[in-house]
Amino acid sequence: MALSVESRLIINEREYWEVKLRGDVDIANAADFRAALREAYFEKPADIIIDASELSYIDSTGLGVIIGAYGRMRDKGHGILIENPKANVKKLLNITSLDKIFCQEEVLA
Amino acid sequence: MSDTLRLFVPGKPEYVRAVRMAVSAVASGAGFDVEAVEDIKVAVSEACANVVCHGANPQHTGYEVSCVLFDDRLVIRVIDQAGGYDAGRYKEPEAGELREGGLGIFIIKALMDEVSIDSEIGKGTLIQMIKRHSIR
Repeated sequence: MALSVESRLIINEREYWEVKLRGDVDIANAADFRAALREAYFEKPADIIIDASELSYIDSTGLGVIIGAYGRMRDKGHGILIENPKANVKKLLNITSLDKIFCQEEVLA
Repeated sequence: MSDTLRLFVPGKPEYVRAVRMAVSAVASGAGFDVEAVEDIKVAVSEACANVVCHGANPQHTGYEVSCVLFDDRLVIRVIDQAGGYDAGRYKEPEAGELREGGLGIFIIKALMDEVSIDSEIGKGTLIQMIKRHSIR
């Protein structure tokens, strides 16, 4: 399934980006995902919440994009949270121990 | 008795998905459960991505993916002539280490029952992955 990335800035008690992923993130489209995260953060530096409820598949290049983005944000006190991952995505986050970083609310500012 | 499916794949990122779909269809048809099919899908994609990302000239040479289905296991081989690398220099990520690259081999080893990597610098690499049937 092709990838769709939808980003919108949510402004309520706090500001954050909600990035909704639909489909597969792999080596063929990881660059699009990277560009979307960069673009959003460049426009407005803020926490990013990735809605993974419709993300069917992600590989290590996709995870690398999230790690890279987080690396550029954390010095500024921002974090990334991955919400509602499907079982297969959750398993990958778990075996790479990335769930300890990206699935905990505390990571957000 | 064994059945073999052999694919010759252009070394371009857009074909990794096609391999993933083909191999997962083989695994699913062979009766692997949903979680095992998912593991196989991820592992084979990571092995292909490894060729496409790290090979010296994968676009020119392409690579081969073979799936050999035995009664008790599925053996997948990803073979390239993309220049090889020093597999001994690969370092697994440590707990809590945030590394953008280098997760692929770690993931393959975590998801498959047996993994071997044979790489010759100047030539190519063979990654062999085995998934066993729990019950057949």
